[in-house]
Amino acid sequence: MNTFFAIATGVMFAIGVFQLLRRDLIKAAMGFNILFTAVNLLMLAVGAFNGTSAAYVDDANQVVGQPSDPLVQALLLTAVVISFGSYAVLLGFLAVTSRRFKTVDGDEMRRLSG
Amino acid sequence: MHNPLLLGPIFIPLTSAALTILTAGNRSVQHLIALISGVLAWLCAIGVLLANLSGGIQTYPIGGWQPPYGIVFVGDLLSSFFAVMATTVILGGIIYILGCKDKSVSYPTFMPLFLCMSAGLSGALFTGDIFTLFVFIELMVISSVIMVAISDNRLGLEAAIKYLFISAMGTLFLLFGIGALYATFGTLNMADIARLLADGDRPLLAEAAAVMLACAFLLKSAVFPFHFWQPDFHTTAPTPVSAMLSSVVVKVGVYGLIRLVTLMFTDEAPTIRAILIVLGVIGVFFGSLAALRTYDAKRLLAYSTFGQIGFILVGIGWGTPLALTAALVYTFNHALIKSSLLMLTGVVSSHTLGKSARISEIGGIGNKMGLTGGLYFIGGLALAGVPPLNGFISKLALAQSGVASQDWLTLGLIIGAGILTLIYMTRTWQHIFQRAPEEGVKAKPHGDSQLAPALLIAGCVFLGLYAQPLLDLASRAVVQLGNPQVYIQAVFGG
Repeated sequence: MNTFFAIATGVMFAIGVFQLLRRDLIKAAMGFNILFTAVNLLMLAVGAFNGTSAAYVDDANQVVGQPSDPLVQALLLTAVVISFGSYAVLLGFLAVTSRRFKTVDGDEMRRLSG
Repeated sequence: MHNPLLLGPIFIPLTSAALTILTAGNRSVQHLIALISGVLAWLCAIGVLLANLSGGIQTYPIGGWQPPYGIVFVGDLLSSFFAVMATTVILGGIIYILGCKDKSVSYPTFMPLFLCMSAGLSGALFTGDIFTLFVFIELMVISSVIMVAISDNRLGLEAAIKYLFISAMGTLFLLFGIGALYATFGTLNMADIARLLADGDRPLLAEAAAVMLACAFLLKSAVFPFHFWQPDFHTTAPTPVSAMLSSVVVKVGVYGLIRLVTLMFTDEAPTIRAILIVLGVIGVFFGSLAALRTYDAKRLLAYSTFGQIGFILVGIGWGTPLALTAALVYTFNHALIKSSLLMLTGVVSSHTLGKSARISEIGGIGNKMGLTGGLYFIGGLALAGVPPLNGFISKLALAQSGVASQDWLTLGLIIGAGILTLIYMTRTWQHIFQRAPEEGVKAKPHGDSQLAPALLIAGCVFLGLYAQPLLDLASRAVVQLGNPQVYIQAVFGG
């Protein structure tokens, strides 16, 4: 299971970095979201160190299997909301940009340099 | 000791943000709520500081869950020192907003965002839990990014996108570091992590986490090589926001670095410190030289922040108690000076027709503005470190600590670069306030109110003439920092 998480995080991180370096800012924004998902997956993997079943007790008050850490899952809820919020704000900015500057090309948006 | 006052600087602005959303239709009510919350948050921060001086470190576990299981807010001397600085400048910013004529400031969403930013700032300073730190930093970043994007300067959007991308990378590093720390120690409480790290064995992932956290904090305070977003972002922001960004928001990174080297990673601290000295010297030079050749008065001050953060990093890098004291005093004084200077630049540019701060357009605009010119002159001298102003006190303390730690090369370099500050500040002052305006350039008769920068400059002069209490306070904070056990015991015992 750990190998699976490691490979998945690595691949997603690679895709995210590649996308983030694109000139098209909308693709870069997608890369931003993929990167965040990769890190969130890493955090989830941190919690699944010992086991992967949900941290619930059954009707007989017995723990089923080896539970995963519920704390990281709670943290992840917050992290997912934050990354989702930033992604939404970023896409909103890009929507306004495409109207205001008539471009979403990172190389053409350099009116501030100097 | 449990002290609910700790919640004040965080929850009062958050509640007021909600209230200002409800009263979005009425600007004066919004202003009244913001002003009251600013004053209350300031008083709470001072109350925490005073309680700290008399009764040791103050803590408050949220919801009664004891650390390390619950989230705890900790107000030690360092946190409350930074929080007093932050709430003072935020209060100045709110007073400036009351008299600000920018169009973006009059939007109904501006005030809630500003208050959210101040809540995030105080929260990041007071929290004792590293994940909560991440949440508060994100709150601060997102609300400030939106305020820059709606700025009167249409290029603000470009700067906001740039910063959002870069700050997201910083956040990613922070989250990665948090994940690594949790994988290693199974806790997110800073005191608990410090205790476990001090206990000895040191897994590989812990050092990786130290690097990631350091990178994230360096990015937040715009240190070389993570600085390139900062001038754009601080230049295009609306004046009250750029005054906050350039003076207190960048200090969150400084706070994080101090926590990193004095509380958590004390064993790795010598390495981090050596890096900080190099980055600081580069920052001092690059910032000052870039400020000399820039075309925009606000951008000049943003570059100057880059340089001044370098001085603070060198202080942290030397790491002796004297140097840390100097770094703390420098942080406090720089926040007052930089926010007032940016506000004064905003006052001048609010008199131009295009609300621009380009030196070619505001040259001579301040010719008739005696009071603004005088205040700008005092602020510029304070930034350059001329006695008897507070900038002199901080530079003197830093130089003394440099002599004591016998690092002559670094000391010589930063003092040499410090002279550049005097050159670019006096040059800009002459350009804006001393020469006659060019043909056809008309100044508008009404601009932003000068009350807030005047108050902050008065604070600068006061802290220059009466510097001992601040120095004593900083040195007491450093004594507390020198003994992480006190912090750990206060968190678990209180």
